[in-house]
Amino acid sequence: MASLGPLAFAVPWALVALVVLPLLWWLLRAVPPRPRRVSLPTVRFLFGLTTDRRTAETTPLWLILLRMALVTLLILAVAHPIVTWSGRSLDGGDMLVVVDDGWTAGRNWPARLAALEDLVDLADREDRLVVLMTTAPAADGAPFRHSGLMTPDDAAGRVLELAPHPWPTDRQGAAEALVGLGSIGHVFWLADDIADPGDATLVAALEALGDLTVMTGAEGPALLLPEPGVEDGELVVEALRSDSLGDTAAWVVAEDSAGRLVARLKLDFASGSGMARTTLALPLEVRNSISRLAIENETTAAAVALLDQRWKRPSVGLVAGGDIEVQHSLLSPTYFLARALEQDADVRQDTLGRLLDRPPAVMVLADIGTVAATMRTRLEDWLATGGVLVRFAGPAFSRESDDLLPVALRARQRALGGVMSWSRPQRIAEFDAASPFFGLEAPPDVLVDRQVLAEPTADLSSKTWARLEDGTPLVTAGRRGDGWLVLIHTTANTQWTNLPLSGLFAGMIRRLALLAEGSNAGLDDVVLPALVTLDGFGNPAMPEPHVSAIVATDIADVVPGPRHPPGIYGTSDLARAVNLGSRLEPPDTLTLPDSVTVTGLTGAGDIDLRPFLLGLVLLVAFLENAASMLLRGIIPSFARQSAAAAILLVIAATGSATMADDDPAGVPESVLDVRFGYVRTGDPGVDRTSKAGLSGLGAILTARTSIEPGQPVALSLETDDLVLHPLIYWPITIEQPVPSATARARLDAYLATGGILVVDTRDADRNLAGLSGVGPNAARLPDMLRGLNIPALMRVAPGHVLTQSYYLLQDFPGRWTGGATWVEQHPGGLNDGVSSIIIGSNDWAGAWALNNQLQPLHPAVPGGERQREMAFRFGVNLAMYALTGNYKADAVHLPIILERLGQ
Amino acid sequence: MSVESVSGFRRRAEQLVAHLPPLLVEAQQVAAVVAQGVHGRRRVGPGETFWQFRRYAQGDAATMIDWRASAKSPRLYVRETEWEAAESVWLWADTSPSMHFASSPELASKHERARLIVMALAVLLVRGGESVALLGVDKRPGTGSAALTRMATRLQRGDAGDAPSLPPATTLPSHARLVLVSDFLEPVEPVAARIHHFAGQRVAGHLVRIVDPAEESFPYAGRVLFDGTEREGTILAHRSEAWRGDYRERLVVHTEAIAQAARSAGWSATVHRTDGSPHAALLPLYIDLGGHVT
Repeated sequence: MASLGPLAFAVPWALVALVVLPLLWWLLRAVPPRPRRVSLPTVRFLFGLTTDRRTAETTPLWLILLRMALVTLLILAVAHPIVTWSGRSLDGGDMLVVVDDGWTAGRNWPARLAALEDLVDLADREDRLVVLMTTAPAADGAPFRHSGLMTPDDAAGRVLELAPHPWPTDRQGAAEALVGLGSIGHVFWLADDIADPGDATLVAALEALGDLTVMTGAEGPALLLPEPGVEDGELVVEALRSDSLGDTAAWVVAEDSAGRLVARLKLDFASGSGMARTTLALPLEVRNSISRLAIENETTAAAVALLDQRWKRPSVGLVAGGDIEVQHSLLSPTYFLARALEQDADVRQDTLGRLLDRPPAVMVLADIGTVAATMRTRLEDWLATGGVLVRFAGPAFSRESDDLLPVALRARQRALGGVMSWSRPQRIAEFDAASPFFGLEAPPDVLVDRQVLAEPTADLSSKTWARLEDGTPLVTAGRRGDGWLVLIHTTANTQWTNLPLSGLFAGMIRRLALLAEGSNAGLDDVVLPALVTLDGFGNPAMPEPHVSAIVATDIADVVPGPRHPPGIYGTSDLARAVNLGSRLEPPDTLTLPDSVTVTGLTGAGDIDLRPFLLGLVLLVAFLENAASMLLRGIIPSFARQSAAAAILLVIAATGSATMADDDPAGVPESVLDVRFGYVRTGDPGVDRTSKAGLSGLGAILTARTSIEPGQPVALSLETDDLVLHPLIYWPITIEQPVPSATARARLDAYLATGGILVVDTRDADRNLAGLSGVGPNAARLPDMLRGLNIPALMRVAPGHVLTQSYYLLQDFPGRWTGGATWVEQHPGGLNDGVSSIIIGSNDWAGAWALNNQLQPLHPAVPGGERQREMAFRFGVNLAMYALTGNYKADAVHLPIILERLGQ
Repeated sequence: MSVESVSGFRRRAEQLVAHLPPLLVEAQQVAAVVAQGVHGRRRVGPGETFWQFRRYAQGDAATMIDWRASAKSPRLYVRETEWEAAESVWLWADTSPSMHFASSPELASKHERARLIVMALAVLLVRGGESVALLGVDKRPGTGSAALTRMATRLQRGDAGDAPSLPPATTLPSHARLVLVSDFLEPVEPVAARIHHFAGQRVAGHLVRIVDPAEESFPYAGRVLFDGTEREGTILAHRSEAWRGDYRERLVVHTEAIAQAARSAGWSATVHRTDGSPHAALLPLYIDLGGHVT
């Protein structure tokens, strides 16, 4: 390795080749480019011609320079130059690289990896061995182990396998694993900038091994996002930082399960404080959709908080009483409940016992008078831990009910009746501000026919959440431990009231379900397997095979590590989040003894110039090739045109903004003129005939009528805008592909909006030739039109508008004659009675086709020029029909037509 | 083309004329009475086949009256026969090396196109009852399917690389028709001499000049070495695009001279480019030969 200041060459002897450059110069000057050889029968006319300018006899200077540059660059690339800025060297020993790959490593992993690669490259150039060591526990739970002495090539492979882990480092453990490694010489520690209890041990161990350089390079403090709390219905978001210097801010984004942004909020860290806090007030439904909070631009697992069901939609269990026959019908007490809740809660319908095995956050007992004694204790335990029990009255309830109620009901004797008959059904009164239903509107047509009545007590009013207009309570509630006990004094079905039919019912039930938010009730010894885990960058990943399940009761104490990385544990209907941010100590900044050299990660890189040089070589080679082809005239116009196009592009890009307003270039040509279209078939002969035919017809129209059509337009059914053309001519060929579904839809739209499609199978000559049966094109026709919205067709009847829209015609010959012409049987009112499709086989375009001198291109058979004239007359009628519709069918013109017909 | 079978080639020519009605050559000389290969002209004239009865008119010879027909009615009827005439058409397609040129692989070579036009014309003529012959090959004209097959075979075989660029100076029956299909790139004098040779035998002729688009537009640019196809030699152009104007001028002068030579002999001349449809060449030729575009 020869070096020249910071510039070094890996293969310096290759530079010797530069000696040949002058020779090359001479060679290139002497040999002119080889001409292209072209054979030409008319060469005799070239003899004796001379040109004024005898250029390119010798190769132009700029081309020679280009070629010299090419060779020079190639030689330099072979010499493999490298710019080394660090000036680091590994004199007198091998290298130990210690990498922190704990959770903070995700913040600047690419830079760390680049620094690592630079170090390995350095070892490669200096021909030293490398030992690699990481400080976070390995993902497979293996004990700490250094890699041993490796060649730089092996080390480069190992470096690629490294990734940050979503758990903290254990520098103590790493230091212990380094014991036994002999003296190394040079030690580099790519360190996180947060402290670890084992710092001192590790530094001591590393200094013992060799000359220690610590490389850190994170920007700003590491940030932690613990799980948010819920207070007063608002999400409380806190974040921690690893130092407490200065006023900084961080942004937290809230996303739903599909990754859509729900909210973005700012956290301000005050100077001297390591914590910031803010609240997020959102509508409950929106808040429930949040599944992930993350600090923006923090690519670590600790900056992500996953929200599980504790923050989300409650689970609701429905238990229905009442008679068997109403269980599965609209009369079922739970039918309306399930409908009201299905958007906002996980609804389970089951028996009380089975629901309590895995208790939901909210339990609704509809028309159940007495809870079985065995269940009673379990139900009350569940209530005390934060369950919400909602009970509905009903016939069974009023026959006999227990005392698990928020208020005492009047007259326990059923004879007197918890049931009242109302002379006039009552409306629901407005909700108090203290009621959870406050804000909901009671529609005036919601009436309650029957209810159970509460015993008037002193606290009845405070327990009442809703009442009727006469003041009797409709909903009463009370606390039981951490839970709520709610009684609705009427039925959950329409037996006693039409409330379940109204939107108010759904609103009320939803409000009740949200009472249960944050409930942790119902988890016991369930084993939760890992569902989704976070990787070292805070991105979700599939769990690794060695990740263990967690017993639900232990989940609060789990310390994230290889066995339990942060993530979601459980099943999709019972999931709990393990968040790294909540389970780490508040981080501290790393402090190092003064004796240690500390450098940054960046700026230490060596730049290998070879890839750039090789890229340049390619570029120059391409230029040279293009230039010599230009000189030999192989791509004369192309190169110039592309240069011109490039210039035009630039001009257009700069000028388009100003031109957009007044320039008609954006308007399709077709709207400035009446222009007939024809379907491009892909058969060049047929397409030419279509074009010549329509332009020939255009010439006739211009000469004889006030229609002056522009040039015909070739259309692709798949891509072009059909709507601009009043008439589209479609010759059928066998090779033509069947229109795609898109094309069919476009054609349908065209026909439905007043377009006329003239389909020509062009095979009436079969009749002339005496052949019977269906021609190949006509046989193809059903395939082509299949799927189009085409109404019933009929042969053109005498008196049809087509026979009289300009000329009076009996038949419609084209290049052939005798083929039938078909139109719509009952043209709909949509297009003013104009047939949107005309099908014939006379090859009309063939007859209309004229060359530039207006001479016919194809003979008309068998009628000769008279037949061609008739074909043109049909064309004129067709154009008139397309443009004026059924005007000529108007009875106003009938006398004139009759007169001319001589009747 | 060489791998294409004779029948395939003939079929292609037949397809080309499939939509043209049978062609009848206008007989110029009424005096030329019945010859071999008689065919009806679908009009009144000298002939043997009954055509129509017509009312006797003043001036008709008494011998023309058909007494049997006249006896059936009080009027006199004259019996008329169909006009029968025939003519031979001699065809020639240039097969010299310069004709084997095609400027791009998509285009047919000039020779292929010339051959196709000649064959298609022959098919048309035979269908109309005319007799046709290949100039310099056939001794006498033939008609019917056998003649067509023979002609197709000969045209197919005529791929020899060294054929002359001028039609052979043979002797033709007077009032024959001659169709020459070539690129006519020879110097004007020999071509004109050959035209006058035939015109002197009272042969009416038609020249069809086949042109490759590149020959006409001269789309070359840059440093190009041009090589002749008939050993004319080579010439190096340093900036060939600069020659385009002069080249075209010379070509136009040459073309005009050829056309003038044809006109002075009372012949017609048309131009056909190989990127055009062969129909385009056939139609004017066909009209010129007196076919009715019905």
